[in-house]
Amino acid sequence: MEELLKKISEVVAEGEAEEAVALVKEALGKGVGPLTILNEGASKGMDIVSEQYNLGEAYLPELVLAGDAMTAVLDVLFASMDKEELAASRVGTVVIGQAKGDVHDIGKNIVSALLAVNGFEVHDIGTDVPVKKFIETAKEVKADIVLVSTLLTTSLPYLSDTLQYISDSGFRDKWYYGVGGGPVTPEFSKKLGVDGWSRTAFDCVEMCKKLLTDKKPGQGEIIMVDSEA
Amino acid sequence: MTGKELLVKTLNHEEVERIPWVPFAGVHAGKMKGYTATEVLNDADKLYECLMEVNRLYMPDGQPIVFDLQLEAEILGCGLMWADDNPPSVTTHPMEEECNFSRIIEKTDGRIPMVMEVSKRMKESVGESTALYGLFCGPLTLASHLRGTKLFMDMKKRPEEAEALFDFAVENGLRMVDYYIEAGIDIIAPVDPLISQISPKNFEQYMTKAYKRIFDYIRGKGKYSAFFVCGNALKNIPLMCETNPDAISVDENLSMAEVKDITDKYNVVIGGNIPLTTTMLFGNQMDNMKCVVDLIDSVSIKNKNFIIAPGCDMPYDIPIENAIAVAEAARNVAVTRERLKDYEAVSDDIEIILPDYDHLDKPLIEAFTLDSSSCAACQYMWEMAHDAKNKYGDGIDIIEYKYNKRENIARCKKIGVPALPTLYINGKPAFISIIPGHEELYSIIDGLIKK
Repeated sequence: MEELLKKISEVVAEGEAEEAVALVKEALGKGVGPLTILNEGASKGMDIVSEQYNLGEAYLPELVLAGDAMTAVLDVLFASMDKEELAASRVGTVVIGQAKGDVHDIGKNIVSALLAVNGFEVHDIGTDVPVKKFIETAKEVKADIVLVSTLLTTSLPYLSDTLQYISDSGFRDKWYYGVGGGPVTPEFSKKLGVDGWSRTAFDCVEMCKKLLTDKKPGQGEIIMVDSEA
Repeated sequence: MTGKELLVKTLNHEEVERIPWVPFAGVHAGKMKGYTATEVLNDADKLYECLMEVNRLYMPDGQPIVFDLQLEAEILGCGLMWADDNPPSVTTHPMEEECNFSRIIEKTDGRIPMVMEVSKRMKESVGESTALYGLFCGPLTLASHLRGTKLFMDMKKRPEEAEALFDFAVENGLRMVDYYIEAGIDIIAPVDPLISQISPKNFEQYMTKAYKRIFDYIRGKGKYSAFFVCGNALKNIPLMCETNPDAISVDENLSMAEVKDITDKYNVVIGGNIPLTTTMLFGNQMDNMKCVVDLIDSVSIKNKNFIIAPGCDMPYDIPIENAIAVAEAARNVAVTRERLKDYEAVSDDIEIILPDYDHLDKPLIEAFTLDSSSCAACQYMWEMAHDAKNKYGDGIDIIEYKYNKRENIARCKKIGVPALPTLYINGKPAFISIIPGHEELYSIIDGLIKK
């Protein structure tokens, strides 16, 4: 069985969606629990890509491909889980979007996909998102984390506006607030007073996990994850 | 020697007495005349007016006409979202479902006629002294504009289809090369930010052939070339050099010292990489001058194969005085080094007595400049004060404080000069970085004289 789980992790890492799905179905057929397949097989495949990415051995195409394979695997696994298993597979709920004025979506889409395949329930509200929509969606889905990113310096003020809106709405101690994107520097993020900042898509997954375990919203030091540091 | 000659000498890999400076003022050019990004990217007269202002104030050795990676994408069917303070962004990908190569860009398409017209006008106005850059969207980025994220799946799963799309993107790029050459452009540069997002293996598989073809074509036409990337493209830099461009330009994600060691081995010019956000947008003038000096100090071979430039397209809202400071530092490195030392050294022990601004006999115009003999913007600011003196004679007093004397630095600190150059009138900052028109200046003086 270990061999099969190892094989699943390898094909997910290689981005072979069809093969991954076939292997997952084989494992399910052999009575392996979906949570075991997720945690001991598929997720480890994403860990492999993450490590390769951090070492400069995997790049955007490899990320997109592995993410695609993992998404296909998750569709099969989630369909086979009961309510308790589904709940156990969820790490937390994230609302993510690109700041107002910015329609770049490649990076954000990758972060969304990686969070999803790492067990987060992801509500991706797209690009050019008005500040209010982050708050409305976070309330609606009972979010744990709100993530805003931008590649444009001109959208930087909306990162601050979103934080202000969260505070004014009385949710600063309920939701973690994380930011990222090219011009969003660690210094800028510190000044803003956000909960988390990360450099790469994989760093963002790590940051979200750390937020949930190491910190309370709106309190303590900012959590920064930078695999290039 | 003109700036253009200096840049050409650099691109010929010769030693130069000064490192050339090329501000990538794309949409930022619009700020200089109060136009939006959308206006300068669509209106020939406004673009020309702004580029001339860039040329006048930043004294570039080379400058681009437009910095818009969406120009070809728009023609080829991508939807765009326009903004007041950014280049447009691609919102839809026409080949997301299926690739269609039936249409290739023509000289009369989209905004190409406007860009060609402005290129020709710039050539006529400043082309003798300033090298003009023609930028076009590189094949990887253009392919991603057209196909969206599916491009990356193609690169892994359907290499023939990816190859065909890259060929198509190169064909379009070569058309842009032709149009730029016809318009008199000197240096032609594909801009491909996504290069940093692919592996060296993928670069070799798809980009080596594409870029060799582009640079061979440009060289065959007797023009110079440059290869612009963004992000951490360190692992691809040697492969980029092997495609044989005359120059490469990188942003602040890379260490210039490290990259230049590589490019020097290939005898390729390297340009960059003043940080756009932390320094140019949010820093002050001293930060920007220090950054230029530090950048130069960081590389081992300084006077060869090197261009000082921003990391990429300058954000719209970069304070004009910051770019002026970069220009001044790039053009006068030794003087700037002294200034920085003095700035650090000057403390409150230099006694500065300010005029009694509330009881002046006549209007007093004080020009705080970096140095009007070397900084263009400072020169124009000081000339305005001079023109006023010629008009009002003994009716006003004028004085220039150059930022290369410790006393003047101390004076700037004491009075709180926000940026250089600034024109103070009766102790108040009247014109910060923006050179006033005669009428504007005279109306203030007239108002003070009447009092």
